[in-house]
Amino acid sequence: MGIISVEKLDHLYWLGRYTERVYTTLRNFFRFFDQLIDQPEGYYKKYCERLNIPDIYTSNHQFVGSYIFDQNNPDSVYANMMRAYDNAVVLRDELSSNVLSYIHLSLDVFEKEKATTAPLLELQQVIDYILAFWGCVDDYVDSEDCRNIMKCGKYVERIDLYIRLNYYTKDIEKEFSKLVNRIYKTHMCYNMENLDRLTEMVNRKSDWKEDYREALSYLGNIIEVR
Amino acid sequence: MRELIDHTDGINRLLSRYGVKFGLYKNGTFHEQLFPFDAIPRVITHEDFAKLEKGLIQRVDALNLFLKDVYGKKQIVKDKVVPEEFVFSSSGYLPQCEGIVPPKDIYSHISGIDLVQAKDGEWYILEDNLRIPSGASYPLIAREICRRVSPETFTKTPVVDNRNYNKLLKEMMDYVNVGGIPVIMTPGRYNAAYFEHSYLAERTDSVLAMCTDLFVEKNYLYYRDYRGEKKRVGVIYRRISDDYLDPMTFLPESLIGVPNIMDVYRSGNVAIVNAPGNGAADDKGIYYFVPKMIRYYLDQEPILKNAPTYLPFYEEDRKYVLDNLENLVVKDVAEAGGYGVVFGSELSKEKLEQMKELIQKESRRFIAQEVIDFLDMDIMDKGVRVPRKADLRAFVLSGETTKVWASGLTRFSRNPDSFVVNSSQGGGFKDTWVLSR
Repeated sequence: MGIISVEKLDHLYWLGRYTERVYTTLRNFFRFFDQLIDQPEGYYKKYCERLNIPDIYTSNHQFVGSYIFDQNNPDSVYANMMRAYDNAVVLRDELSSNVLSYIHLSLDVFEKEKATTAPLLELQQVIDYILAFWGCVDDYVDSEDCRNIMKCGKYVERIDLYIRLNYYTKDIEKEFSKLVNRIYKTHMCYNMENLDRLTEMVNRKSDWKEDYREALSYLGNIIEVR
Repeated sequence: MRELIDHTDGINRLLSRYGVKFGLYKNGTFHEQLFPFDAIPRVITHEDFAKLEKGLIQRVDALNLFLKDVYGKKQIVKDKVVPEEFVFSSSGYLPQCEGIVPPKDIYSHISGIDLVQAKDGEWYILEDNLRIPSGASYPLIAREICRRVSPETFTKTPVVDNRNYNKLLKEMMDYVNVGGIPVIMTPGRYNAAYFEHSYLAERTDSVLAMCTDLFVEKNYLYYRDYRGEKKRVGVIYRRISDDYLDPMTFLPESLIGVPNIMDVYRSGNVAIVNAPGNGAADDKGIYYFVPKMIRYYLDQEPILKNAPTYLPFYEEDRKYVLDNLENLVVKDVAEAGGYGVVFGSELSKEKLEQMKELIQKESRRFIAQEVIDFLDMDIMDKGVRVPRKADLRAFVLSGETTKVWASGLTRFSRNPDSFVVNSSQGGGFKDTWVLSR
């Protein structure tokens, strides 16, 4: 319908963030999982530190199971997928049943595969579904405002994770320019001061490893949703 | 049809993909559950549907006239066709709605009429649902998927396409709209029928709103968007019950209503679908009087029969009920969703006596009905075809004219010993085919 209430704005933005959180953490986790094979016990702690999530795990093996599939662990990828679903399910009239179905499918993978011994094998499906979800958003969501708000959420989350996970500066710059482009297209309130500061950090090619706390604080407060 | 049955699991998988679920609370926790679909359809012949259609239109027209009368002149009560005890003491009757005339004089825009077919082929009305009947979305989406799974079934069988429910709903909403956007109001995603709310909003191009999105200003209802702009609402299909609709008029503790919406409605500045106060006409006690209403308002003989019903309120009926309780089904008029239904045959001697005492003490609270020998419907249970009890909810939409949707929700009990078909009690659903010739 394209008439967006404040409540829906909030759900659209956070749907963008949570789907992106699942997508990027999974992609990154695939690489990390590979490293874990050759690393000593406790290697997962580094990962927790970078993401600033509490270390509640007891071993590399237990970390993999809990961080991916434990729905009661609020930091798990599954829990984040559930949060994406919570935001999506109230947006059927904006998204369409076709778009929403990819969130259902992703959630079903977690539900079915929580006892799997080969997580990477099945989780590829989640990545595929999320990519299909975004493709479907462009095809089926009529309201440009809706698409822009979701994509603002997506890029904020992506930049946040890229900074935390030490992605290359050029990757961060690329995503930042996409975010700025989207922000200008939406009619959402945004914090100009924070945007300017972050722009300045990007322009001076900031050392993200060093300045990541400052950058994350600006980034987290750019978009003003509730 | 064999193809459809063979692909039942696949159809259910697609239904799950589209979120065709209903919510329920178990031990205080919310769960979403798939509403199980059985691929063997209920088939209604062209001739049967023609009769059902006429009978249902007649019934709903009479019920709409009854509601107009009850909240207006009350002639049917003055003429002692319906005793006043059954109208004004009903929990569904809302004195706050007295004198309100809804747009286009329509009270029950969407009526869900529950029927069963007896083994002799006769259809009986079990109850009228005129408040917020749910369930149309399930056969609507199931048909879409079934046609995808087995197109041949639908080329070989002359089944009327039922995928026009959204069109009928939209036409009706447009007809009563007093100027503004159409809104479907939901109490939220934890409501049992939330899938339906969101799906119908999508299919009718309505805005899906919660109470926080809506507000009243200068006696008009508005939807507020995130830019701070307000859009006037002309019609609201609300999926919350009367009690919670307006805390200023009904339950003050309601957090899911819109304060002062009843003032807007009273002034004719918004159409509310269905009208508040419709419970006065779908009370299980009032059901007994519907054939009389048809004769009274339309001067016609009822085309469709009620299940044989007794009102313990009347001495003669009470005596019959007490003498024959073990053969009857007793329903608490205040309950819904399959609750408050007691089969006399299932009660122990002691419980039977307790029930009799209760009926004598609170005669207005119960109705009793003969147990109809339902025509069982086959379902597939773990690959085996087995008979189960099933009912039909027909949907009647009242706009410029009264129309019956050529389909309906067929619900069945999965328990071989149960007559209760409600989804909240573990039932499943089937598509309902109406044959075009």
